[in-house]
Amino acid sequence: MEAISVIFSVAFVAAVLRVSTPLILPALGGLISELGGVINIALEGIMLVAACAGVLVSVWTQSAWLGAIAGVALGMFIALVLAFFHLNLKADLILAAIALNLLASGGTIFVVYLVTGDKSSTSRLVSGQMPFLSDFIPSVRELGDLGRLLDQNILTYAAFVLTALVALFLYRTRTGIHLRAVGENPEAARSVGINVRRMQYLALLLSGMLAALGGVYLSMGYVKFFARDMTGGRGFIALAAIYLGARKPLGVLIAALVFGAAEALSIQLGNLRVPTQLVQIIPYFATLAALVIYAVAQRQRALARQRAFLQSRAARQV
Amino acid sequence: MESTVPLSFDRAAARKVVQAERRRSTLIDVGVTLATIFAALLMGFVVIALLGKDPVRAYEALLTGPLTRLGRTGRWLELATNLILVGLGVSIAFRARQFSLGGQGQMVAGAIVAALIAIYVPLPPLLGVLLPIAAAMATGFLLGLLPGAMKAYLNANEIVSTLMLNAIVLRLYDYILTFHLKPQGSETTRSLPVQPTAQLPTFYELLGVDLGRFNLGVVLVIVGAVGVWLLLERTPFGFAIRTIGANEKFARYGGIDTRRVIMLAFAAGGAVSALAGVHLLLGVHRRLFLDFVGNIGWDGITVALLARNNPLLVPLSGLFYAYLLVGGDRVEQQAQVGSELVQVIQAVIILLITAQVLGDWIRAWRARAQVEV
Repeated sequence: MEAISVIFSVAFVAAVLRVSTPLILPALGGLISELGGVINIALEGIMLVAACAGVLVSVWTQSAWLGAIAGVALGMFIALVLAFFHLNLKADLILAAIALNLLASGGTIFVVYLVTGDKSSTSRLVSGQMPFLSDFIPSVRELGDLGRLLDQNILTYAAFVLTALVALFLYRTRTGIHLRAVGENPEAARSVGINVRRMQYLALLLSGMLAALGGVYLSMGYVKFFARDMTGGRGFIALAAIYLGARKPLGVLIAALVFGAAEALSIQLGNLRVPTQLVQIIPYFATLAALVIYAVAQRQRALARQRAFLQSRAARQV
Repeated sequence: MESTVPLSFDRAAARKVVQAERRRSTLIDVGVTLATIFAALLMGFVVIALLGKDPVRAYEALLTGPLTRLGRTGRWLELATNLILVGLGVSIAFRARQFSLGGQGQMVAGAIVAALIAIYVPLPPLLGVLLPIAAAMATGFLLGLLPGAMKAYLNANEIVSTLMLNAIVLRLYDYILTFHLKPQGSETTRSLPVQPTAQLPTFYELLGVDLGRFNLGVVLVIVGAVGVWLLLERTPFGFAIRTIGANEKFARYGGIDTRRVIMLAFAAGGAVSALAGVHLLLGVHRRLFLDFVGNIGWDGITVALLARNNPLLVPLSGLFYAYLLVGGDRVEQQAQVGSELVQVIQAVIILLITAQVLGDWIRAWRARAQVEV
């Protein structure tokens, strides 16, 4: 009973939005890279680097915005390195990404130690935080429960707006359609004059940008410091959300919210002596199931297409 | 017009040419790998120097650390045993160009199933060790079979499925340990120790040489490396795996049941990776506790990669990698950032080694030189 009352509280919904943001943003990035045929396993490392760079630059410049910009820029640079190694130096995409994750984990701790003399976090520094809605409209705070729900970080709002923008980009722009064509069948795309390499560079750079925004949110919104390995596997959960969301922007958004809800719930249930590990497992199982369902559906669709093609050819021959 | 080219040719001579060419190709790979390692270490050296620290002392610690005390040597060999076992498992699936990242989960699952037997079932001496090992291998096999079947028969992305399985297994492990294996009233979250007959004896217990927790589990490495080599190089199954790795379509047209082979490659890899978990349980820690496996699953992938998935080279790369890790811990004690720096060096090594172009350039350059001669 207690659990149910927790789920339906405003505070819980607000918490879900808070913990989902650093999943939605990298998941959208991962989606673009997946649809471009170059799935980005380095989301985790990119988030970490962006989170670290954002905090340090915001300390240095005393500006949260400059910190955020620096974080995104550095995140995109990591994505660029990945793209260069894969697309130009023919490195295996997965292994290069694993290396970059390792580099991010070690490199950020190294830099944090150099700056602060402390390896665990930057909590001794006074770093910037991206604004919340109430920073623009102070009266939000007076709305009670609704106010608490609405008073989110602007990056949380950005996550929802970007979901729509990513959907528009992928399905309504020429570049987006080319990008998906490259992911679907690179040879066919090349044969109609699409520059495959350029599209895949674009896909990886955009995924880096979105993942970096997620990282910036973690250290400059969700909390106000950088801690070692603070992404805690969110980059990989984001990858799962792509498949749980059936590789569609809206689906990915919902999947990321489901993962966020499971995380928020396990935080809440921590007080209630329910095994949180079992709650946390649910979305992973759901992803495995989604992976199977998606794969079966994909095959059915391919078979249907094949049948339709054969029938139309038979009809023409008659 | 009839062909004037003779249809028969000297098979033995042709074979010799092919083998020489293959040896040279391997040599280039090894050379590139060594050069890469050297370049990455040099980079680390420069970074330390730029930080105003003494790079010579740091590198002395890094490069001699594991040998300065017997206990550290033991730590090195014990860690290498784990990394080699996971590396061997990973290399099987990688040889078929399948990116199974499930090593971590397979280790943990193997350890937990083995622990249920090793802790609670009193068994006679030899059986006490062999039964948990067999149980762990069976668990790893099944845990590899699932993503393998999903990939082979449904074309479901194996990276995501193995990552999901890792996450599920780690949380199940937490749950079983916290709520079922932890003795009532115990302060720390850990299980009871394994039965005395289930322990893999350390070399201290056997010979009185204090090599820390380095234990008889090293036999698993030798058996594993030779076994995986035989499997890949001397069996039809291994031939099928290698053919699929080289060109999946070709393998299918050649009559290989690619789906079955891919599925079983995942499973075989899982069975071998699980050995690392059972080694940790029976030889190193002798009980379960939270964060039992650390980062070994990921490091094992690096080890397989460094050895280019060659099972006979995996022990070498595992020894090298473990040496770097233990040496890094030594630098850590002096410069405070040793382990992170080693991590960065590792990352650079992997990144450069994956850049296939380097080896290809050398081959192309050699080929051009030969044409000109």
